[in-house]
Amino acid sequence: MTMKVLSGNYAQSYAAQLARVQVISAYPITPQTSIVEKIADFVASGDLNAQYVKVESEHSALQVCISAAALGARTYTATSSQGLLLMHELLHWASGVRAPIVMGVVNRAVAPPWNIGADHADTMSQRDTGWIQFYAESNQEVLDTVLEAFRLAEHPDIRLPVMVTEDAFYLSHTVEPVDVPEATLVDRFLPPREPHAILVPGEATRLGSFTGPDHYVDFRKQLADAIERVPKLLGKIEEEYRALTGRSHGGALPTYRVDGADAVLVTMGTATTTARGVVDEMRAAGHKVGLAKLRLFRPFPDDEIRRLATQVGRIGVVDRSYTFGRMGPAATEVSAALYSGGARPPLSSFLAGIGGRDITPHEVRRMYETLLEGRTPTTHWEDLEEEVTVHG
Amino acid sequence: MIEIRFHGRGGQGGVVASELLAQAAFLDGKIPQSFPFFGVERRGAPVTAYSRIDDRPIALRTSITAPHVVVVLDPGLLATERVTDGLKPGGLLLVNTTHAPETLAAPGGVRRAAVDATHIALAHGLGTAMLPIVNTAVLGALARATEVVSLEALSRAVEQFVPARPEENRLAARDGYLGVRTVDGTAGPSVPLPTSPRVAGPSLPEGPMASLSSERIHTAAWRTFTPVIHLDRCTKCNFCWKFCPDDAIEFDAVGFPKLRLEYCKGCGICAAECPPKTIEMVAEV
Repeated sequence: MTMKVLSGNYAQSYAAQLARVQVISAYPITPQTSIVEKIADFVASGDLNAQYVKVESEHSALQVCISAAALGARTYTATSSQGLLLMHELLHWASGVRAPIVMGVVNRAVAPPWNIGADHADTMSQRDTGWIQFYAESNQEVLDTVLEAFRLAEHPDIRLPVMVTEDAFYLSHTVEPVDVPEATLVDRFLPPREPHAILVPGEATRLGSFTGPDHYVDFRKQLADAIERVPKLLGKIEEEYRALTGRSHGGALPTYRVDGADAVLVTMGTATTTARGVVDEMRAAGHKVGLAKLRLFRPFPDDEIRRLATQVGRIGVVDRSYTFGRMGPAATEVSAALYSGGARPPLSSFLAGIGGRDITPHEVRRMYETLLEGRTPTTHWEDLEEEVTVHG
Repeated sequence: MIEIRFHGRGGQGGVVASELLAQAAFLDGKIPQSFPFFGVERRGAPVTAYSRIDDRPIALRTSITAPHVVVVLDPGLLATERVTDGLKPGGLLLVNTTHAPETLAAPGGVRRAAVDATHIALAHGLGTAMLPIVNTAVLGALARATEVVSLEALSRAVEQFVPARPEENRLAARDGYLGVRTVDGTAGPSVPLPTSPRVAGPSLPEGPMASLSSERIHTAAWRTFTPVIHLDRCTKCNFCWKFCPDDAIEFDAVGFPKLRLEYCKGCGICAAECPPKTIEMVAEV
């Protein structure tokens, strides 16, 4: 193992290289571009033996991966924000033809107005496309999750595409120490993809035939069943990864100091790191607060959320985007999970960090205080209460 | 934990400076976290980068609003950016400037340091006169003025991670280390972290497109070099007007190009494209 000081974007690139991906499609968009640039370096230097396809749009980028995956190749691409939105049609295609693509997505705000800061509106609006979605908190988690994602995606019981997301700038452009596992170790964890070609050169086969009402529903149900199998398999894959590297990121909903907590925040991505610091500080001052990190968003970890609800007094969900006409998207999911569960603690939806706003310790503390004071559960737009100085 | 904020312009190497500092701090056995924030991705646009250095994992992922150290890579930014916002009492302001540190304006109690990184960079052939790459010289100065990182670790980081001219960059870091001058802060009140007054939501236009125009945004503050057009040799070919990315060239009554200096960022594209080479880029300071 080698410790390197890497950006979140380079953590994606190193993971793709270690996974020995065979086909990469590349189209630039801020703040993703350095992911595919670094992979281009690996291909140019011979450190990665892969076909690197430069395309004219994100729509084509994903089509390249779908076709290559259908021929049996291990494929990777990366995008962000508007680029992901342009892929929308093909996101459905990728899951529909059961293409095990892994894609890095840098979470960036959606225009207008133009903004390149961290915001989850891009991936949240793709939640119904049949892709598995992970949200990462650190560059280490980015690297490890991409490797685990290939195992999940290509598993015969799953065969679905996976997004591994990271917050713009707070991870994409942040350099910090990352343990990069040895290639031989990764090879043991992630051997070459088992041949499973839908398309075979020289044979008359096709992707995406017309299917009438008689069988269309069967294919939808297959996809539904496949994504349901993810949580169980994730546990096994993480256990194997831990055996090789000593690291695990705690499954779909890792928790922190939630035992007997009066108030728990559910966070996604980098908000978690800051919130963990606040939990320690508030616990030291005698407040019973805890934290749960929503690491896997699709499929949604219903069971884990219901278990959490039995242990805690109140839950607040911190969302970095908004579902217009509803509340924070993660809050709606937590709410839906709780309806069918045994315990239904009061739930609040906090919107914070929209469009690249810092989620500060001060803001996180205020969210905990709101919960502890037992104020009426509602939707709080935290950013509107903060004054900020923006540099650069 | 030490928090450092870098202010530079796109292309000067401020982002790389914060990354190199992280690499060097890691070689010193510390845990670093460095990242930039930028808005407009253009050469010359103001860019901010942040570094945190600690002995243990950093439980914070926000920008830095109350730094211990502020590093300014371009002295021109002192006039246009509020670089000392939030700078902690007892902290340090380090500026790339030809002037003495005593001349630097800083909140009371803040130490001031000056290094002529531009000349050091140019002496080692780093960048061009229009855009010297000053980051390694500035980092050398930072190592001396703060001791957040050792010169030895910085030199090793430069050798390992600077993609071009590592030896010249290592020497620039050494010269920055040797050339920095630091003076104590002036007596006076420390300035608390100011915040921009928030424009209340309801007073914003409905939708972000209303009544905004780049005509109203004067970007001349980005400029470090000004084009001077020698009309005696101008052929009125209009190439400067065609290639100017900022529409900063118009024509006078007889068809000669005329600068709209309030929009010129000094990118030098007009000078490069002008067929008879009648445009000269002249340093502003």
